Amino acid sequence: MEQHPTTPPGHASDQMFQQLGAITRQLHDALKELGYADKLKGTVEQLPDAQSRLSYIARLTGEAADKVLNHVDGAKTEQSRIVQKGRQLNDTIARVPGLAKAMPELLEWSQDVVHQAEQTDARLTEIMLAQDFHDLTGQVINRVVQLAATIEEQLLALLLQSAPTGTPGQDKAYDPHTLEGPVVSPEGRSDVVTGQQDVDDLLASLGF
Amino acid sequence: MATPMKFLIVDDFSTMRRIVRNLLKEIGHTDADEAEDGVIALDKLRNGNFQFVVSDINMPNMNGFQLLAEIKKDESLKHLPVLMVTAEARKEDIIQAAQGGAAGYIVKPFTKATLEDKLNNIFKKMGL
Repeated sequence: MEQHPTTPPGHASDQMFQQLGAITRQLHDALKELGYADKLKGTVEQLPDAQSRLSYIARLTGEAADKVLNHVDGAKTEQSRIVQKGRQLNDTIARVPGLAKAMPELLEWSQDVVHQAEQTDARLTEIMLAQDFHDLTGQVINRVVQLAATIEEQLLALLLQSAPTGTPGQDKAYDPHTLEGPVVSPEGRSDVVTGQQDVDDLLASLGF
Repeated sequence: MATPMKFLIVDDFSTMRRIVRNLLKEIGHTDADEAEDGVIALDKLRNGNFQFVVSDINMPNMNGFQLLAEIKKDESLKHLPVLMVTAEARKEDIIQAAQGGAAGYIVKPFTKATLEDKLNNIFKKMGL
């Protein structure tokens, strides 16, 4: 069998990093010659602004969600009082001899009040649950802010260094395998679930 | 009538902690405390008499998977049911949670009925 010369461990990766360094230098020189360095500098300078704008959105949506939750809490307490009073009224009407028979609409109205108040309470629960948008959008915003910080760091390094230096692999690269938060575009992806039913089916198929 | 239990809700977003706490209250579980990450949760669990944990996964300092692992390797805590309520929708995350000993997995956004259903399933398995 033909023997291939063995490459010493680490030699291949050293070569790769040298090539990457050369490409980075060429890219840097090309940007400088073409006058793109200034444009790149402008982009880098805009990134902190974009990050602070996103953080502003996250803060404001959080405050809005809190405000809604405060009002929902207040309204739920009021609805619960209406339900309680309505039931007391039902009992009172039923206790007065002949009243429910003479004026059946009284009992009907008081029962309606209880029913409507319970329905409003259920709607308030839905409004409360809808505030989870703050958590879901907040996670996405945090992720974009982190990504922008990584891009800024890398663009800055490209701008400031005339030649690539440093130890290969020392850069804090964006890691796509960390927890990814809410799935923004599930279309065409088979590695994610799209709802609770998918979660239940997956767990059931595995015997959990 | 729900079995009285002390819940710990773990989530880095205060809005979500509040929503889960209110939902638990509506379902009949009024005794609940909150923690904003796994480190704080673990400290509270070791110093409080909790019977149930509802935890997010994606959190700073100590995430939900790490918290689950810490709970399951602690002799005094490993009996606690941990229900994951999270936006992490990757199948590998769901499998990891199940293999790590999570009692249930709810993907956000969710409904009150889903939470109630999962809690009832867990209580049933616990013989409550």
